Amino acid sequence: MITIHLEPDNEVIELHGTKTVLAVLNRLKLRSTMAIVARDGQLLTPDRRLNPGETLMVRKVTSAG
Amino acid sequence: MKCSRCKQLACVSLPSHHSGFCAECYPIFFTRQVETAIRREKMFTHDERILVALSGGKDSLSLMLELAFQGYDVTGLHIDLGIPGSSEKARAKVENFCTAHGLSLQVLEMEKEGLPIPDIKEHVKRPVCSVCGRIKRHHFNRIALEGGYDALATGHNLDDEVARLFANTLRWDTAYLSDQGPVLPARQGFTRKVKPLFRLSEFETANYAFLKDIEIHSDPCPYASGASFTSHKELWGELEHRSPGQKFQFYQGFLKNGKPAFAAREQEIGEPLAPCIECGSPTSAGTCSVCRIKAAVRESKAKAAEA
Repeated sequence: MITIHLEPDNEVIELHGTKTVLAVLNRLKLRSTMAIVARDGQLLTPDRRLNPGETLMVRKVTSAG
Repeated sequence: MKCSRCKQLACVSLPSHHSGFCAECYPIFFTRQVETAIRREKMFTHDERILVALSGGKDSLSLMLELAFQGYDVTGLHIDLGIPGSSEKARAKVENFCTAHGLSLQVLEMEKEGLPIPDIKEHVKRPVCSVCGRIKRHHFNRIALEGGYDALATGHNLDDEVARLFANTLRWDTAYLSDQGPVLPARQGFTRKVKPLFRLSEFETANYAFLKDIEIHSDPCPYASGASFTSHKELWGELEHRSPGQKFQFYQGFLKNGKPAFAAREQEIGEPLAPCIECGSPTSAGTCSVCRIKAAVRESKAKAAEA
């Protein structure tokens, strides 16, 4: 299971069976340039692999203008 | 993915540039994009004084930090809109950011100007976002002129510009299409306006803000629906995903091929500007829109008091 802290929505989401950052973004229905993803304060590219039990910060980048 | 510069592990992937960058090299990419924008569009020089509009969001704070890093003479301007539960948070982020980086900041309080945004929401029967934007632009321009600044810089990024261009095109708004661009030269009571982040997407400024540890104000405005603007951005996000680089091509193509035609047309049919009879700001309507909004709020408040 991967725990997601979604910003700026301030939601916590748990995902099962996701093994890469790209898979997380797909499950959240986000394109890779619509959010930044970080683990332990380090940014991750979509191809990075994830391990069960990890926590990610996913911050959507689109502002309302 | 490997960094395109140093071949270490990348932390940012940029499909539109066919590149990836590590945490050390990404700020260099960002700096070069801003340098290119300023140089190619002749935005300003190191001898000029720049007023930077600061909302507290990722774009304006990233712009301020980057311009200061590049050695420009920058002063921040934050407008405290007076919206309860929102404006105080945004202001605190801006003040803390400027203090932490030793940057000059000026704050204008709409409450003290007699026109807090909650009053507009209550008393003016027009979309509050459009009125708020108009008032902010009015004061940014006024303060830049009164303070003797050479240019007003805003944090508008490529996504903002493309979404606005798309909306203007859907309406075929020739007046807006005639002067949309990264530089609006000074003229008739208007300061020079520049957008040094116009080559960078929201994703790119978000990565920069994260890597520079900038604490941003990301709460949406409680008054903003943002519906059409956000949906246009999402639409363009899909197009960009299918064809990376399309946003920049669309915008650059407009600047090269579309804007000159609209500018020529507007020169023929556009309304001439004259100083507002109340505040002196340039307007084509005798009394400028901000003075008219002030009058509308005054009248509505007087009526409410009588009732």
